[in-house]
Amino acid sequence: MWDMPKIWVFRGLKKGILTTAYPKSQPTSEEVPTASLPPRPTDAVDWSAGERGCPTGAIDSGGKRVDLGRCVYCRLCSSAGFTFDDGSGSRAGALQAGLTGRHAAGARRIFGRSLHVMMIDVGSCNACNLEVLNLSNPYYDLSRLGIAFTNSPKHADALIVVGALNPAMVDALKMTYESMPEPKLVLSVGACAISGGIFRSAEGFVSPVGDAIPVDVVVPGCPPSPVQILEGLLLAAGRLKETGAMR
Amino acid sequence: MERLGEKMQLSSVFQAGGLNYALISDTETNKTIISELPLTLSEEFGALLRGSGAKPGSPLVLEASGRVEGYGVFEFPYGPVSWGVPEAGAFSLMTYGERVLKVVPRLNFKKRGIERAVLGRTPEDALLFVERSAGNFSAAYSTCFAAAVEDSLGLEVPSEARWTRAVALELERIHNHLYVFGRLAEAASQNIAATQAHALRERVLRLNSRHFGHRYLFGINSIGGVSRGLPKDERRTLTTEVRLIGREFSELVQYFLSSRIFLDRLQGTAKLTRKDALGLGTVGPSARGSGVQWDDRLTFPLEPYEDIYVNLETEDGEDTMARTMVRVKEVESSTIALRELLDRMPSDGTKSGPHRRRADSLGAGFSFCRVESPSGDLIQAVQLDGGGRVGSLHVRPPSLVNWLPFARSLEGTVFTDFQFAFESFGLSFADSDR
Ligand code: SF4
Ligand code: SF4
Repeated sequence: MWDMPKIWVFRGLKKGILTTAYPKSQPTSEEVPTASLPPRPTDAVDWSAGERGCPTGAIDSGGKRVDLGRCVYCRLCSSAGFTFDDGSGSRAGALQAGLTGRHAAGARRIFGRSLHVMMIDVGSCNACNLEVLNLSNPYYDLSRLGIAFTNSPKHADALIVVGALNPAMVDALKMTYESMPEPKLVLSVGACAISGGIFRSAEGFVSPVGDAIPVDVVVPGCPPSPVQILEGLLLAAGRLKETGAMR
Repeated sequence: MERLGEKMQLSSVFQAGGLNYALISDTETNKTIISELPLTLSEEFGALLRGSGAKPGSPLVLEASGRVEGYGVFEFPYGPVSWGVPEAGAFSLMTYGERVLKVVPRLNFKKRGIERAVLGRTPEDALLFVERSAGNFSAAYSTCFAAAVEDSLGLEVPSEARWTRAVALELERIHNHLYVFGRLAEAASQNIAATQAHALRERVLRLNSRHFGHRYLFGINSIGGVSRGLPKDERRTLTTEVRLIGREFSELVQYFLSSRIFLDRLQGTAKLTRKDALGLGTVGPSARGSGVQWDDRLTFPLEPYEDIYVNLETEDGEDTMARTMVRVKEVESSTIALRELLDRMPSDGTKSGPHRRRADSLGAGFSFCRVESPSGDLIQAVQLDGGGRVGSLHVRPPSLVNWLPFARSLEGTVFTDFQFAFESFGLSFADSDR
């Protein structure tokens, strides 16, 4: 029993190797798996080849543009000529969080060093919640970047919203947003939060989160991988250029 | 009319063709009985099962028995926004001083209405919704739905695909059990152990993504098969990886079990007697922790579970420790089952017919399926219409029936036990609300 602590110290050391090098360098293909890569149209796009069509209407009628906020990454469009992975293993184009245009200037000055984040679930399938929680496991280790979770809106700089906004959660979402101090950031994480995702025609879906409260950053995915959520947080805090490079 | 006998457990009620039916499990002969619904439901349970069909936006309040009132009794609300429970759901806690007198779960904060959303869709399209009912039980949901649809169509399915599904189910079980273990360690402030458990879980998620193309196993199933098979060389590497993870987990558990602080927090905490467990229809590891011998992999085996060895893990402690130990032992037995599944998986193109779970007496194209999800018995009953589209779907999620046992286990405990009880039951609001 006495040699136990040794094992744990050793494990603790190994932990350093586990942690992703992102954002210092691009994430690996383990960290952003193929299933989290956005569909890209190719010259060979032909919907008549794939029988089923896009289940969320994320692809425009010409078949050339994909609305990532709607995409649930089901990859049914692969049979119609959309590609996901160029096979190079590079994840340079994989990061896809976006600013909505209302993002405050000077975010880096205000939030650049420390960011307190709260998560609120407004009707998810739980996978998005789990990916957000995973950010504190040793593979992603949020705290090394000065980012910490908080459970009170009063202490939160940023609010991560996951799930398809449910009628029962509209007031709770607004109240949570109201009780955050200014200045504040909001991230819509996952297709459900951004557009309703697969549930956009379901009875339990009210509206995109962005219609209920102001949203600064969207993180597409179903669910987005932890690194992609991390990218959204860094972007919100003004620590990334939109190209994905560390500022 | 008649009340349920001793050995009969009411598992679900649902509508088909405008009539109400009850799905009853005979725990002695391991049979599922579907009967029209003239029987008297126990009040709480009946309300629970009927109320689960409520529309999105209307709450489902699981008030078990009479209200607790009196001088010094406080009712305080918990949720739907809280960090202790990282999901949208709420409780009313009736307390007297430190004591918890009663817990009333309040559900449907995240009801999306899956059962109605799939109506009129092709079963393939419906799968996209079904697998997103509960992201952490996605493989169980999609396998259950696909198998029910296949049965109702009388489809033959390649044995290899059925075995591949079982591999996914076991990986899902492992990552959920690791999650529960990690959360319990967090609740007991055993941070190193919690971190290690979550790291092991991350490794399982990465295995999922490498071999099945998705960290939470979305999109692995299609009607009549799987979307991606496991080539021979992958089976070998997967076996090795799983064995390593299993071994590291058992080291972790040993370390954990040598910690007095941890044991003290779990032992004797939130007891659920065997009688209550049976009476309230408890399922999964939560029931097995109270000595109930029930696991769908053994009681209603889909192929390949008749063919491989799965140990029925039970404990008699009836407490949080017992529920935790069931999950711990199931990680090990799943690891063993995975080795056998991956080793003996047929590749000779054999096909096997439906599981004979059709219930044509209810109407044409009607069938049901039961799958042991990480938190217990998941039931789905599906009816296809004449055009092969989904005519009706009934889902009985495992978490839904485990709320009342969870609430019962907390009666008379102290408030600080809440987190331990909650995590040990492996409850998910996404699952119960769907
Ligand atoms: S991956 Fe699925 S949801 Fe996304 S564009 Fe392709 S078909 Fe549509
Ligand atoms: S975006 Fe996808 S993973 Fe996230 S909550 Fe919605 S269905 Fe689940």
